[in-house]
Formats: sequence, C-alpha cells, structure tokens
Amino acid sequence: MEDEEFDRLLRVCRLKVSAEQRKKLKSDADDILHYFDRISEVQCDDIPPAFHSVDIDGRYRKDVPLKFDDVEGILKNTKTHRFFVVGPRI
Amino acid sequence: MTYVNEFLKKEKPADYYSKLLEELEEKNNKFHAFNVLNKRISDGFPISVKDNICVKGMETTASSKILKGYIPPFSATVIKRLEKDGFSVLGKTNMDEFGFGSFGINCEVPARNPFDETRVAGGSSSGAAVATSIMKYHAAVAESTGGSIAAPASFCGVVGFTPTYGLISRYGLIDYANSLDKIGFMARSSGDIRLLMSKSVGVDPADTTSVDVKLSDVKKEKIVVIDELYDKIDKNIKLSFDSSLSRLSAAGFKVQHVSIPEIDYSVPVYYIISMAEASTNLAKFTGFKYGLKVDDFSKEYNEFFTEAREAFGEEAKRKIILGTFIRGASVRSKYYEKALRIRRIIRDKLSKVLDDSFIISPTMPVLAPKAKEAESFSPIQNYSMDLLTIPPNLCGFPTISLPSDYIDGLPVGLQLTGGQFEDNGLISFGEQWEDSFKYKFKYNIGEL
Repeated sequence: MEDEEFDRLLRVCRLKVSAEQRKKLKSDADDILHYFDRISEVQCDDIPPAFHSVDIDGRYRKDVPLKFDDVEGILKNTKTHRFFVVGPRI
Repeated sequence: MTYVNEFLKKEKPADYYSKLLEELEEKNNKFHAFNVLNKRISDGFPISVKDNICVKGMETTASSKILKGYIPPFSATVIKRLEKDGFSVLGKTNMDEFGFGSFGINCEVPARNPFDETRVAGGSSSGAAVATSIMKYHAAVAESTGGSIAAPASFCGVVGFTPTYGLISRYGLIDYANSLDKIGFMARSSGDIRLLMSKSVGVDPADTTSVDVKLSDVKKEKIVVIDELYDKIDKNIKLSFDSSLSRLSAAGFKVQHVSIPEIDYSVPVYYIISMAEASTNLAKFTGFKYGLKVDDFSKEYNEFFTEAREAFGEEAKRKIILGTFIRGASVRSKYYEKALRIRRIIRDKLSKVLDDSFIISPTMPVLAPKAKEAESFSPIQNYSMDLLTIPPNLCGFPTISLPSDYIDGLPVGLQLTGGQFEDNGLISFGEQWEDSFKYKFKYNIGEL
C-alpha cells in the first residue's frame, strides 16, 4: 500500500498514531494484504457471493417505534442537557 | 451427567455464594478470568457472561478501554432466557478486545491458563474458558466469530459449543462481524451444554437472523478428516489426534479422509470478511454515546472522534484500517466480494461432506503457547493458528470442542463439526465421548 493511501485511511478512520506505531501498522498491513492476495488464485467469478454464513430469509423488522422501559438507563451513558444527548460541534 | 442437576440436588450452606465470591476474588487475582464479579448473586446456578454480551446494570466493555464505564440498560436475549430459567449471572469474563485474538492477550490484563499460568488461555473467550476450568458448578455464555469458543475451551480443557449461526439470538451482543458471530457456551460436560441450549435457542424478533427450528438428534457413523488441515497440525497434536481416531474407530465409527483444496483459502477469506464487517461495527465508538467520554465538547467533531479512538488497541486499529481499505471501491471486488464467493464454494464443499458425516480435527494445531511466545507472533502467525476453527465458523456450522488428551499436563481438544442444525447430534457425540474419557481439572472452586 502506498504511504499516501495509508495516511488517507488513517484520516478517514479518525485514527491518530505515533510515528513508531504508524511504521508497524503500515508494515503489518502490507504483509497482511500480501497474504490476502493468495485468494486471486481461485477462479470464481461465476459464483454468487455468500453475504451470510448460512442462507437467511431476509426478514426485516417493522419500522415502527417501540417502547423502551429504561430511557434513563440509556441517558446515564451520555452527557445530557435536559432531554438531549450532548455531542461534539459539527 | 450435568453439573447443573447435581448442583440443584445438593444442599447448599447459607453462605455458599458469599464464600464462592470470596474464593473467586482471590483466584481472579491470579487468573484474571473475570472483568466484573456480581457481588449481589444469592441464588441460581452461576453463569458467567463474556464481556461483549450485555447484562443490564453490569459494566460491559468487551475488554476495550473505549467502552470503560458502559452500563447497558438492557440484557441480551440469551441472558434474559437463562435468568428466567434459574441461572444467575456471576460476572463478566475477560476476552481479547472486541473478540480480536486467538490467545486472549489483546487486552489490558490477559487471563492465564489454569493448567500452566505461564501459558495463554486462548481467545477470544479467554475468561469464559478459565472460569469453566476452575469452577465446579458453573457454565459460561461465550461467543465465537472464527473460533473464539473452541480455541480457549481446548487450551483450558473444557467443553466448548458453538451453535449453528442464527440458532441463538445475537440481540445484546457487541458485534465483531455480524455474518459470523454466534453466541454459544462452555461447560464441564456435554449434558450441561444440552441443557443450556434447550433454554436459549429460538427465534427473537429483535434479531432478524435468528431462526425457529426444531433440532433433531442426528446420529452419524462416519467421521471425516480433511487432508489439507491434517497436514498442518503440529507433530505431537497429530499423534494425539491419531490416537483419538483409533479410539473412535474401535467404538464403531468409520473414519475417512477427504481432500478439499479450497479449504486452504479459509483463513484469508475469513479475515477479509471479518475485518470488513468489524471496521463498520467499530465506527459507532466515538467518545460520547458509549463508555469512554471525551470531555471537551468545544472540539470539532473530527478532532473529538480522533481523540476518543486513540483508546482502541493495536489489533482493533489494524482491523479498522484494513477493513476500511478492503471495502474501498477500487479493491472491493478483488478482496471483499471475492472472499464472499469463495465462502460459498467452501460452504458447498463442506455441506456435501456433512451430508452423511461429521468432520473431525483437533481444535487447535498446537498446544497452548507460552504467553511471551504468543506476544511475539506476527499478525499472520496469529491468524494462521485459527486454521482448524475457521472453516466451520465461516460457514455457520455448529462445532463442539471436547477435551481429548493431556500432553505434558496440558489439555488437547478434539473438534467435531456438524451440518446446519445438527447441534444436538454433536452434543450426543460429546456425551458418548464422555462415557469413556474423563476430564481433568486442577481446581474445583465452589465444590459441595
């Protein structure tokens, strides 16, 4: 992987790492991708992808609001102002 | 036999649970099996819960600094079902951060193997296996993505059961890779696994991948060894495995060898898929909704999120970076889509074999390594250790790992894989195995 691409990924993933950690992660990433490249040996363009480990029937939940009995419990995990969860500036 | 029924029949002193907690606290300083102990437990059969499964009101961190302090306001469906049936949560067990590891060392304080404290407990459900190995009356609720139940069960000498994908609801599980994650169990006997399964399976409206299937007790006389896997096992494990095969042969099983060349691609295929899924799942940890809080809200959001995400461990960062890369438009078909196609090939080939057989292998290709040795492994060396547990996990097939031998005092595991929904057949095999093979434990905390 090119250095520029690796640094772009760090930015996209919002990861800040030290120079030393960057060097190690980059070197590991190159080794792992090289290892992953082995799969190019398999000819399988005509095989449909298996998105799940087993075939599932693709049910969806109904898009309706449900009552949750511990709203305070959810809010305890956040910083709140009145009923609002406080987040960073956009 | 089941330890659950034995426990229920025995008279217990009034201070049973307080004494149990006292002894566990002391042993936990040595083995680091638990992240949290539930000091309020006062009745029921004790179960531990892997720290990536939510229990209402009990800190749940998946052994990650980024979730420090997160208190779920709800319990996972599997926990609710077990609690309704007389099981009580004893605590949350240690693990590799978010399930990312094969040895239980990717966390703040790694769990230690009860058979030799200088060795790893296996991962990622390290604490679950240690707790099961040191406590007489206890079972563990654990989780497997690519072998996280079987591997530690094998290294710590307990029974590890990974059900068919979808049989147990994943609601309340902190996801690693949604298409691969399965909640399962560890116990000291297959009978206990049968009992836990009977209370846990079934469709859950909160998990659209959960299924409602009546499980039948499939019996098979043929067991199959896959040559490509057999060739990669360490010599001492191979000798032990051959002796297990001889025992099974003498008991009337027909042992056959088959070749499935595509199985050699299982490990890279699994890691491509799991990293792609993990990188999206970890995007939600941003420093204000769950666990760790970044206090300075004057920061612009990119700066804010970046500061929070410094709390991820090295393997988590590696998975985020590579998973994001693999999903990128320019390489998606080369890695992610191709891996999904190969998963289908491997699944179809294994399904064919499983039509009339179980697949058998050792659970791990090596004995539990020393912690220092495991720490020196490169990522690829680490990933390659999962070569025997990944194929069934990749395809959602159920597996049972049973203690099958002791080499130099260390347990060895035997892994049996069944076809989809043949879970009870594997448990029956385990019960039959236990009729002639007695498991060894070094500790029996909570003995009555």
